Amino acid sequence: MYYKFSGFTQKLAGTWASDAYIPQGLKPVVSTEAPPIIFATPTKLASDSTAYDYAGKNKVPELQKFFQKSDGVPIHLKRGLPDQMLYRTTMALTVGGTIYCLIALYMASQPKNK
Amino acid sequence: MTHQTHAYHMVNPSPWPLTGALSALLMTSGLTMWFHFNSSTLLILGLLTNSLTMYQWWRDVVRESTFQGHHTAVVQTGLRYGMILFILSEVLFFAGFFWAFYHSSLAPTPNLGGYWPPAGINPLNPMEVPLLNTLVLLASGVSITWAHHSLMEGNRKHSLQALLITISLGIYFTLLQTSEYLEAPFTISDGIYGSTFFVATGFHGLHVMIGSTFLTICLLRQLKFHFTSKHHFGFEAAAWYWHFVDVVWLFLYISIYWWGS
Repeated sequence: MYYKFSGFTQKLAGTWASDAYIPQGLKPVVSTEAPPIIFATPTKLASDSTAYDYAGKNKVPELQKFFQKSDGVPIHLKRGLPDQMLYRTTMALTVGGTIYCLIALYMASQPKNK
Repeated sequence: MTHQTHAYHMVNPSPWPLTGALSALLMTSGLTMWFHFNSSTLLILGLLTNSLTMYQWWRDVVRESTFQGHHTAVVQTGLRYGMILFILSEVLFFAGFFWAFYHSSLAPTPNLGGYWPPAGINPLNPMEVPLLNTLVLLASGVSITWAHHSLMEGNRKHSLQALLITISLGIYFTLLQTSEYLEAPFTISDGIYGSTFFVATGFHGLHVMIGSTFLTICLLRQLKFHFTSKHHFGFEAAAWYWHFVDVVWLFLYISIYWWGS
């Protein structure tokens, strides 16, 4: 049984010998070490002050630390005040809008008195 | 021990499904108010709350994945299935409009003159701007593939350039289509030809705008170093969607613009 890696399901899937067949003979041995995962342009030290041309330095590690703080706050409020304000605005507009909508629909469903 | 012992993602309770559903109510009743009572307050409120919901929902997904690491392999598989199924539902959505087009154009009624394009309709020349539009979208398919490969190879500069080119081509398509719409010798109210033409191409144009927005988000995320060479499903989802938009255009071009002219 031969196997190939399905990029779609991210699992090994059975395949036929024809998929493994290479007329030129055995493929050269490929290193089984996982290739290095590349995050961004290669950096030396975090303190390296090479200014990147595009939008500043990588803030992902700090943000990862910040959002992984176990303070029990749900994800949609985790940033604190700005999140709360946006949430409250959204809720207010949505719930208020729904009430307005129900009133408007009630009024629209009244027969017009000729 | 309070941490999970499985690889799945149990999401924090979230208000966005509720606000999303309510915003859909506001948008639909808003459309009704706009059509029948000339009032756009509800509609604008609906569009606003919809945008706020989408922004915060997807912002939270980015936080949960890039910053909290919840998107394990099995979670990502689920997301892949989800995106495929969503795109499939969109394919079926367009299938309806193609059905309507073929229903009317394969057997044109006597009212239309018994032929297609109907009497009095001067269709757009498929070899002019529509052909350019086709080439623009095909080129954008190439550039997005380049962007993907650059991303997988860790080439930051190229992935940003290629994404930018893809988005620019998308905007160029939109501008070209807008000018075609303004210059067209027929309108949506010109019988069944106008209806099928503008509804099908109109929804397609909307999807181009959605796809361009999705790609722009990917560009911003790539600028902020969110994607790695191995894990960038958001980008892949955007790329799948973009290819879908391209394919729909090819069907539109062949059926409505070319065969239908």
